[in-house]
Amino acid sequence: MVILNKKGFKLPRVEREKFILLIRLGLEYNGQDILFSIKNYNNINQLRDTLQDILKSEVSFTQTCIICSTDFGCSTCKYSESCPTKDLPFSCVCNRCLQPKKVTQQQLLF
Amino acid sequence: MKNDLWVEKYRPTTIKDVIGNEEAKTLFVEWLENKRPTKKAVLLYGPPGVGKTTLVNAAANEYKFRIIEMNASDARSEKAVNRIAVPATSFVGLDKFSSEVKGNMLFMDEVDGIAGNEDRGGVSAIIKIVENTRTPVIMAANDPDLEKLRPLKKVCLLIRFQQARIPLIIMALKKICEQEHIKYEFEALEKIALNSRGDVRSAINDLQGLSEEGKTLTVQDTLALSLRNKDISMYDTLKGYFATKSIMEVSNLLNSSNVEYDDLLMAIGDNMPRRYTDPGELAEAYDFLSQADVFRGRVGTENWHLLKYFYNNLAQAAAVNPESYKSFEFISPPIRVITLFWTKSKRTLLDSICVKIGVQCHVSKYEAKMIFVPYLKLMLQQKKKTNTLIEWLKLTPEEVTFLTGLKMF
Repeated sequence: MVILNKKGFKLPRVEREKFILLIRLGLEYNGQDILFSIKNYNNINQLRDTLQDILKSEVSFTQTCIICSTDFGCSTCKYSESCPTKDLPFSCVCNRCLQPKKVTQQQLLF
Repeated sequence: MKNDLWVEKYRPTTIKDVIGNEEAKTLFVEWLENKRPTKKAVLLYGPPGVGKTTLVNAAANEYKFRIIEMNASDARSEKAVNRIAVPATSFVGLDKFSSEVKGNMLFMDEVDGIAGNEDRGGVSAIIKIVENTRTPVIMAANDPDLEKLRPLKKVCLLIRFQQARIPLIIMALKKICEQEHIKYEFEALEKIALNSRGDVRSAINDLQGLSEEGKTLTVQDTLALSLRNKDISMYDTLKGYFATKSIMEVSNLLNSSNVEYDDLLMAIGDNMPRRYTDPGELAEAYDFLSQADVFRGRVGTENWHLLKYFYNNLAQAAAVNPESYKSFEFISPPIRVITLFWTKSKRTLLDSICVKIGVQCHVSKYEAKMIFVPYLKLMLQQKKKTNTLIEWLKLTPEEVTFLTGLKMF
């Protein structure tokens, strides 16, 4: 499985038609950094299929934790099997932020 | 504690508080702040209970817009849209310059529900409004792929909403528990979130239903929850419904069944005389059923808070006399559905005849059916100078045979 960072990722050179298709599906290309990023999320399923076709591997996008802003993959989530939207959209809560906070010794004393 | 619905009490008032769909929220805010002025209207689409309406309300609150709302309970014909939406979108009120309100925002909820004769011309009227609007126009739909919405999609910026993730639902439940001072086991919240299948509204409702003040919410408490959207067929629903021993049992069954409410109501009505052989019990059961029907009508497509009364009356109809149950063979699907299925070809034929009469006689299909068809039938049966009539109306031999043997008049 290939995990892509939605903010910027590299792709192998693709033919013109494929490139146009990727742009139509919502990718943005930054020629300076030679990086693709996701601009529009409406056709994300089709986009993922196309990327899988190009990379010849299953594609997954990184998630950003809405609490601590770290990027993480869905494969680390224990709910990935029962998740209604799999790895889309791109914001979630990471395992560390989700777990109940451990009560410190000092808090126990009070 | 249980007097207020938590869904309403904790409804987000700012965009930041709306759970999930960060990309959709960003796009929407950019559009609202006029950073993407290519389209004058926006269409939010996605499954129910994911925050489309909540986001619009939160945005209106945050950006100080006054919402002019038209939803599925309003008629949305060309006339109705023009009467409400044109004044709301064509004029900029003086209050735009006040600090309290920044102007109007037209919100049309459930636009995929625009249908039939009642809403004739509605879509084209909306398109005209979008072209001439001076205020934000927002629409929401569950299914944007409908044929009738295609012209609307061309003039709108499309924003897709996804179901809420389980961790996000857990976070929302945790927040509510903290504010309501409810102690909880993390696993209990986990179970509620998993059970909700991405529907935040139902998760919050479940939490409110299970929690009690001063008591810790445990995994044991959540065992009473039945999985939502479980695929229970009509047959199994009826079987469980009629064999029920208590109102509670039937309530749980109805909550987990995915049978259409109207089909269920019809099927129960059809089978009731087989269930209750005692006339008194049957009358009582039908009384509850009629109450359920009244509430189904009131629920419509938006007053879902009344659904509990619909279920409650259905449950009471099933539990009039649980002891008298003897197994019987169910009538399923409902008689009305079967009748409609068997008569479909006949109705289509009659419709095509009425259209032909309508074209020649300048009358509506309904008038043709009610006034012209009975006489036409008599004339055809008497077979006097009928050839001219058949030619003039351009009736096919099949249609002539059908009309001659028509039994409905």
